[in-house]
Order: sequence, then C-alpha cells, then structure tokens
Amino acid sequence: MALRKGRALGRLGAALLLFLTGCAQKAYWLVHPKGAIARTEWHTTVLDVAVMGGVVLVAGGLVAVFLWRYRVGNRSRTYDPTFTASLVIEILVWGVPLLVVGYLSYFSVKSVLATNPYDPLAMRGALARQGRNGEAFARRADPAMTSALAPAMRAPRPLRVEVITTDWQWVFIYPKEGIATVDELVVPVRTPVKFDLTSATVVNDFFIPELVGEIDVMPGMRTKQAMIAGRTGVYHGYSDDYSGGGFSWMGFSTRVVDHARFEKWVRRVRAARDQLSFARFSRIARPTINLAQRVSHFSEVQKGLFDHVIGRVMAGRVYRTPLAMTENMTKPMNVRMIK
Amino acid sequence: MLVDYPGPWTFLLGRLDAREIPLQNPILLWTFVLVSVGAVAVIGAVTYYGSWGYLWREWLTSLDHKRIGVMYCLLGVAMMFRGFIDGVMMRTQQLMAVGPKSPGYMGALHGYLPPYHFGQIYSAHGTIMILFAITPILVGIMNIIVPLQIGARDMAYPYLNAMSFWLTAAATGLVMISLFVGDFSHAGWVGLSPLTELAYSPGVGVDYWSWAVQIGGVGTTLASINIIATIIKMRAPGMSWTRMPIFCWTALSASVVGLSSFPVLTAAVALLSLDRYAGTHFFTPGLGGNLMLYTDLFWIWGHPEVYYVVLPAFGILSEIIPTFSEKPLFGYVTMAAASIAIGGVSWSVWLHHFFTMGAGPGVNAFFSIASMLVGIPTGVKVFNWAFTLYRGRVRFDVPMLWALGALVLLLTGGLTGMMLAMPAINYTVHNSVFVVAHFHNMLNVVGFACFGAINYWFPKVFGFRLDERTGKLAFWFFSAGTVVLFGSMYALGFMGMPRRMDYIPFTSWRPLLMGEEAGILLFLVASYYFVKQLFVSIRDRAKNRVTASDAWGTSRSLEWLTHSPVPFYNFAVQPHINSRDEWAWRREHGLGHVRPDRYEDIHLPDNTPLPVMLGACAFALGFGLVWRMYWLAASGLVGIVVLVIARSFQDGPGHTVPGARIRQMEASYAAAPGEVGAARDPVGGVAAWQTASAPRPRAGDGRPARP
Ligand code: HEM
Ligand SMILES: [Cu+2]
Ligand SMILES: [Cu+2]
Repeated sequence: MALRKGRALGRLGAALLLFLTGCAQKAYWLVHPKGAIARTEWHTTVLDVAVMGGVVLVAGGLVAVFLWRYRVGNRSRTYDPTFTASLVIEILVWGVPLLVVGYLSYFSVKSVLATNPYDPLAMRGALARQGRNGEAFARRADPAMTSALAPAMRAPRPLRVEVITTDWQWVFIYPKEGIATVDELVVPVRTPVKFDLTSATVVNDFFIPELVGEIDVMPGMRTKQAMIAGRTGVYHGYSDDYSGGGFSWMGFSTRVVDHARFEKWVRRVRAARDQLSFARFSRIARPTINLAQRVSHFSEVQKGLFDHVIGRVMAGRVYRTPLAMTENMTKPMNVRMIK
Repeated sequence: MLVDYPGPWTFLLGRLDAREIPLQNPILLWTFVLVSVGAVAVIGAVTYYGSWGYLWREWLTSLDHKRIGVMYCLLGVAMMFRGFIDGVMMRTQQLMAVGPKSPGYMGALHGYLPPYHFGQIYSAHGTIMILFAITPILVGIMNIIVPLQIGARDMAYPYLNAMSFWLTAAATGLVMISLFVGDFSHAGWVGLSPLTELAYSPGVGVDYWSWAVQIGGVGTTLASINIIATIIKMRAPGMSWTRMPIFCWTALSASVVGLSSFPVLTAAVALLSLDRYAGTHFFTPGLGGNLMLYTDLFWIWGHPEVYYVVLPAFGILSEIIPTFSEKPLFGYVTMAAASIAIGGVSWSVWLHHFFTMGAGPGVNAFFSIASMLVGIPTGVKVFNWAFTLYRGRVRFDVPMLWALGALVLLLTGGLTGMMLAMPAINYTVHNSVFVVAHFHNMLNVVGFACFGAINYWFPKVFGFRLDERTGKLAFWFFSAGTVVLFGSMYALGFMGMPRRMDYIPFTSWRPLLMGEEAGILLFLVASYYFVKQLFVSIRDRAKNRVTASDAWGTSRSLEWLTHSPVPFYNFAVQPHINSRDEWAWRREHGLGHVRPDRYEDIHLPDNTPLPVMLGACAFALGFGLVWRMYWLAASGLVGIVVLVIARSFQDGPGHTVPGARIRQMEASYAAAPGEVGAARDPVGGVAAWQTASAPRPRAGDGRPARP
C-alpha cells in the first residue's frame, strides 16, 4: 500500500518535473545563447556555478554529515565540548574561500572585459574566429587567393542602430540607412551591431536574452551596447527595468536575417509612407501602450534625431504620465493604446 | 505653489478629497471592511475587559526595553502578514495574466489588477517587508536580548528607545493608511529614479513612500545609536570584549552599519522630496539633474541595509546552534572578526546593484571583486557553524530546525549572490526574477532566523515555550514553500523573465508561474500553523510553562541566568562575568542558582507618554506633507519641537525599587519556582509580573542618584 502510494507520488513528481522543465526546454533563453556575447555570459555562469557549487556542496556536506553523526540519538559518537578552536581549521576556513574568491575575481575581470558593452572583446574574438574560418574556407576553395571570395574574410562592417525608448515603445533608427522602425529590430546575421541608446522619459533596460545582456537606457544620456548574432531567427527583446504602466507590453521582436534579406528589408522600409521628423517623434513619445506590438516603419529620419532627443531631455522636456492613469485602480489605463 | 502637480488643492484638505478614498475598488473596499471589523472587535474587546489603562500604563508609555522589544516584534509580525498578502496577490495576478488571451477582471486588461495597482502592491510589499517587518522584528529582538546578554538593566537611553519605536510605528501607520486614503508609490521599494519624479508619478503615492521611509529611517538610526551605546557602555563588570556573546557582536556591527548608512537614505530621499515639493532638479533627467546620483545614494544605503538585517540573523544562528549542539561556538574570535568584516566590506560594494548602468570595465571589475570579498567572511561563518556541530550532541528542537534551514538557504543564496557579483553574469539576470529569487532566498535566511529567535527566546520573555508540534509543521511548510516558490523563480530567471511584470507576454513562463503559486500556497499553510502555534501555546501555556531560568537546559549566554519570564529589573544584582559563556560556566561550576546575600536598590526610569505623542506628531507631519495640508504638517512639526523641549525640562527622576522589595520578589521565585504569585499566569509574562509587583512612582519620590 505504502509502496504503491510512494510509486504514485514518484510518478507524479516525475510528471511535474517533466512539465516544468521538459516541455519548456527551449524557453530557457539564457541556457541557449545565439550570439557571441550571450554565449560568453552563459559560459561565465556555468563556470561560476561549478566553482561555487563545489564550495557549497562541501560546506553543505559537512553540515549534513555532522548533523547525522552527532545527532543526540547516535550512541557511537564522541562528545567533546572542548573542541572550539583549531588553528588548522581556521586557516582552512579563511584560506579556501580566499582562494576561491581569488580565482573567481580573476575570471570576473576577464569576463567583464569580454562582455564590456562599450567594446566587447568577445565580439572581436567571434569575428576573428569567423575570419579564420572564412579564410580557411577560402584557402581550400581557392589556394591562390585570387577569387571574389576574399571579401568574405574581411570582418563585415558593423551596423549602427540608435535606440530610443519612450513610454512605452522602442524606436530603432538606422542612421546609415536613413530609416527607422517602432518595435522592430532587424539585423543581419554574423555582423557586428553597435547600439547607441537613450530614453525620452524614464529608465529602461535593453535586453535580448538570447543575443546580448542588459544595458540601461537612460534619459539625457547615451549608453552603448554591441552584439553579434550567430544564427538567423526571431528573438524576443524587451525592457527589463520597470518604467510605468505599459512596461509589461514593452517588447520588440528581433529578427536576425541573412544579408540579402536584410537589404530587401531595408528597401521595403524605405518604401514606407511615414517619415520620422522631430515633431513626429514627439507624437510617438506621448504615453502609449502598444498592446500587440504593432510595428511601424519610417522611410526617412530627420538628421540628428537621436542627439536632438538627448538635447531636449537635458533641456527639460518631459512626457508626463497623466495623473488619471497612475491614480486609477479600477480602469485599465486611460492612455493611448494601440490594439 | 512652487511646483505644478495636477489636481486641485484646498487649504484645509490639501490635495485630499473624497475621490481619493478608493471605494470603487472592490478589493480595497473589502479590505477596508475587514480591517474596520477587526479594529472594532479589538477596540471593543479592550474596552470590555477594561484594559485601556493597563495598555496605556504598561505598554504604550513603557520605557522597559523588553516591552518595547515585544511591541517591535508584534508590529513586525503584523506587517509581515500584510506584506505576505501582497505577495499572494502578486503571484496570483502573474499567474492569471499570462498571454494575450488571458481574461481580465475588475477593470484590468489581464488578470485582476491594473498595472498601477500591481505597481503599488509590489512597492508596498518590498518597502514593508524590508523596512517595516524584518527590520522591526530584528530591532525588537536586539532590544530584548542585548541588554540581557550584557547584564544591563535597560538600554543606554530608554527614552530614545521608546521614541525610535514610536517613530517606526508612525511610519508603518503611513504605509497602512495609504491603502485606504490615496495610493502608494508604484516605483518599487528602491524608488526607481526618475520614475519617482512628479512628471511620472504625479499622485501622492511616492510621497507616502518617501515620508514613511524618512520617519522610519530616523527611528532606525536612533535605535542603532542606542544599541551601540548600550553595548559599549553598559556591559556588566568582567565582560571584556572577548567575553561578549556573539549576538552582541553582530548587533554591534549591524548597528554601526545602520548608523552610518541610514543618514544617506535620509539625504537621498530628502533631495527627492525637494524635487517633488520645491521644484529643484536633483534627480530629474533634465535641467542639470542626475538620476544616477539617486541610484548611487540609494544603494550606498541599500546594500548596507541588507547586511543590517543579515548580521543579527547570523548572531541568532550563532546562539541557537551552540545551545542545541551542547557545545560552545566554534572559532569565537573568527566569528566576531567575520561579523565586523562583513559590516566593513558592505560599504564598498553598492555598485553591484547597477552593473548595467554603463560603467567602464575597471569600475565594474572593482565592485565585482569587492562584492565577492563579502563571500569570504560569510563562508567562514558557515564553516564555523559546521564545526560547532562537530563532536556535539545535536538536538532538533524547533529553534534549531529554523537555524539549520537558514544555514542551507545561506548556502544557496550565497551561490547566487556570487553569480550576481560577476558583471558578465549580472548583465543577463539583473532586474530579472533571478535577482528577486536571490534576495528572497537571502531575506528568508533572515526570516528563518527570526522565527528561530522567536521560538528560542519566547520562554525567556513570556515564561512558556511555544508549541512544538505546530511549530515543526510551520517550519516544514515554510521550508517547502521556500524551495518550491524560489526554486521556480530561479528557473524563470534563466528564462529571462523581468521582475515587476503585471502581464506576462510569454506563455512558456506559465508552468513555472504555477510552481510559484504552489509555493505561495505552502507559505499560506505555514502561516496558518504559525498562528495556530501561537494560539495553542497560549491556550496550553500551563503545560509549556518554564520554571527554570534556562528554558532549554543547555543554553550558554547570560540572558538565561535570570528568571523566565524576566522580571522588570532584569537581574536582581548585577552579575559579574567570569567567562565567555557565562551561564554555561556557572552551570558547569554548580553556581546556577546561588542567591546573592545582599540586594541593592534598583533605580529605573518612569513611564512617559511623550514618545507616543511624538509618534503621533510624526504621523501628522508625514500625513500633512503627503497631502500638502501644510497646516497639519506644521502642527505636527511644532508638536515635535514642543515635545522635545518639554522633555528636556522634565528631568525624569525615575523611581527606586528598594533592595528589600527585590529580596521579597526574588524569594517568591525561590519558594516554589512554579507558582510565583503575580506571575502565575504568564500570558504577557513580563507584563503580568510587572503590573503586580512594580511600585508606582509617587510624587515625593525625591531624586536619588542614578546607579
Ligand atoms: C555572498 C553574499 C552576497 C553577494 C555576493 C550578493 C550579491 C548581490 C548582487 C550582485 C545583487 C544585485 C543584483 C542585481 O540587481 O543585478 C544583489 C541583490 C540583492 N541582494 Fe545580495 N548578495 C549577497 C548576500 C545578500 C544578503 C545576505 C542579503 C540580505 C539578507 C542580500 C539581499 C539582496 C537584496 C535585497 C538585493 C536586491 C534588491 C533589489 O534590487 O531590489 N544579498 N545581491
Ligand atoms: Cu517579497
Ligand atoms: Cu548588494
């Protein structure tokens, strides 16, 4: 009876575990990075957990063994209340954590440099590897190195994207291409992307879990981020820092596509009717919740919009949150909503 | 007005008008009804039993450190329930609002809470749990235990002590009243800048938050001063620094941290209030303001604050584990050093709360290493506790279970802390629920320690033990809840889920959200058993009665030398300290119950109503400022000033309990340890005992010299 009960419970547990982990495998975005920076960050995580996990297991194991061995019911134990200090143990208990922290510190510095948003070494590394692979490939195909394959060896020129957050949408400006979008980020695969970020209102946090870690997006300031996507696909990006009532809807989709597709997409956006002037931007920046993440395209962007936004914010421009919105606890939200 | 906030203003009511009372919201309405019914019931009961005088004389105006400590703990536990209910509401909202197809109720698009209501709930939850639940409980425990452990009659400044408590209570009152009058901040317990500025939070919510934090912060700063002074100046003869119980070491370290960090919070929030009231631009994005400055200032307080709460928790573990291992603490000197070291390092790590703000690799690396250094003394503590068990005789009483639970949680929380301290990892989990799981993991260490402390020291204060069976059930359900809820939350962190979401866009997060909900249901069961434990224990108090001074038989430090419940004068004669574990030393030398041959007069301060009145004035000041009823704020301020001046003229002679009276009372203990006349019914132990035996101060008491 008890056995059957136990087995049933076990099966239930297993089912639950499967439910919680199995069916959501792909959903562990940090565990399955798709870009060089995210991959470095995940490797750091694994190493740190391995090292610290060792320490924790030793400490926890000691506690468990001592509890079992010296429990009051255990007659075979030795009881020695005078054992209250020991130089050897003292040296060990200070020394081991010191060594562990020393090692982790070294590793921390290394990984900080690798993922530094302003100049991530990991990206250089990825590009170099890509270059090497490309070169090897080119050599094999064309030992004399004369063909048109050669350009592939050169690191592709980085794509620049300017990101402005508003309450509660994302504006992506492609200054070189002269286009802009709302809530849609499209980048070519295996190409470095350099972001400049600022906010028209409050602080947000730019985050695409599978591709790159977070960087704050702050009003009146410029932060930077860089990434390189290793695989085509659609990845979720969103704000990671609470910014008010529309925060939960503040997502954007990141499409990583090959170069040809990217060119095609740029041409399509260039054909859009809407244009992003300073005035048009102020209309977008009014509190708006984009419920269905509706994408907008702008075929032209007024020159210097990004710096203009920073300058205006520094000069005191604010996009107020209406009082009725923050006070209301019975109606969803009385602001503009895009359904 | 200096600043233009939206909405009307009148002289009499400031920004307040009838619409600010959210009767249209069914949740708040029913909460209000429930609270009113409860309040009427309590007031009715107190009136029915004619206890107003007793309450006023023996509790509200008391300067006795044990009573103030008990009131701190009651306040903290009550607020912990409030914060817990907030937690249940948030978990339920997040579970209900998954995916675009999830239905919405009561005006919400999804789930049952509109975004700003949800925002208020998580902000209130965080503010309450850290500042008005865990902090008061710990301050209360320090209040009760520190003087007893060092053989003092009271705190160094009994009046200041009562004042600290009533300021904390006033601040708590502000947070509570924001439920029914107006609204609370939605900018998180950290006061996200510039979200807290008028442009983005035009209502009174942020003002409620800031004034509650201000008033409570002053209370905690004063409490820190008091504990430091008590420990430095009031130790019994013979108690050198190296004979001081380890809990006092941690209390000292924590209070130094508190004293030096709380003023930073006061300054930061004061500047924010200037922005909101006077139209300055300290933290606004434009016009020369710098919002990063606020973030820095906040965390210069915020990080030390988390060590302010964890250090006493470490001290509690260091008292409980030796008692139930029947062994002195292993590595006392190291433990004391580690406590101080943790306090010291905690000042130099604040930037790890915003590695993602774009600082260069040098800065981030520096603070990363500094943060990881905290792990060293913490690791040392864990190993020392482990070796305290080694060759001991380990019993698993309820306090020990809580302590061991805390130990396990400390290990996992330390691991994730070390992960967060690496910027490269932090970039992927900052502001995600992984961080939330980390600090709940760590704050649960504190919570477990608090429950352990309540179970451990309860008999000392009230004279009877808490029920064992229900206590164990509470422990196991609480532990299970912790594992299930925060295990799921950690996992969600690896899915990249941000914190503070009121709507969940991705259905792939639902299974783990269900796990979290299951966890919080386990917490619900645990809190049922905790209440039941209190109920059963009080009902069966005769059975759980403790007659010996040492409730556990194997305790070690000085507080176990005096009677349980502790008489109002703590120790009949001031003990002389011979050893690090004084009570254990006396027990082992057969000196457990020798009576002194001479009793001296004991001098004690008189009760005074000034601290309660001061608290009331502080509340009026806060409430007036929140609603910009400037006349009310001014009256509150004037009231405070007048009271402070009044106190300085009132030189409070105190009263003297003659030695002969002490002898009488002590003798009644000896005659039949189970049947001390006045203390027969130990509900409120200290209480009943003191009521019956303390002489009332008389007008002509003269002015004897203070001892
Ligand atoms: C080994 C020791 C610890 C380390 C290395 C550590 C590290 C960290 C780091 C790096 C963060 C920032 C996470 C982020 O926002 O990205 C953090 C957050 C936090 N930690 Fe710890 N921690 C430690 C112990 C503790 C303890 C003992 C407590 C409290 C009892 C605690 C409470 C908190 C809280 C409350 C927060 C975040 C609050 C917030 O953002 O709302 N931590 N910790
Ligand atoms: Cu919480
Ligand atoms: Cu911290």
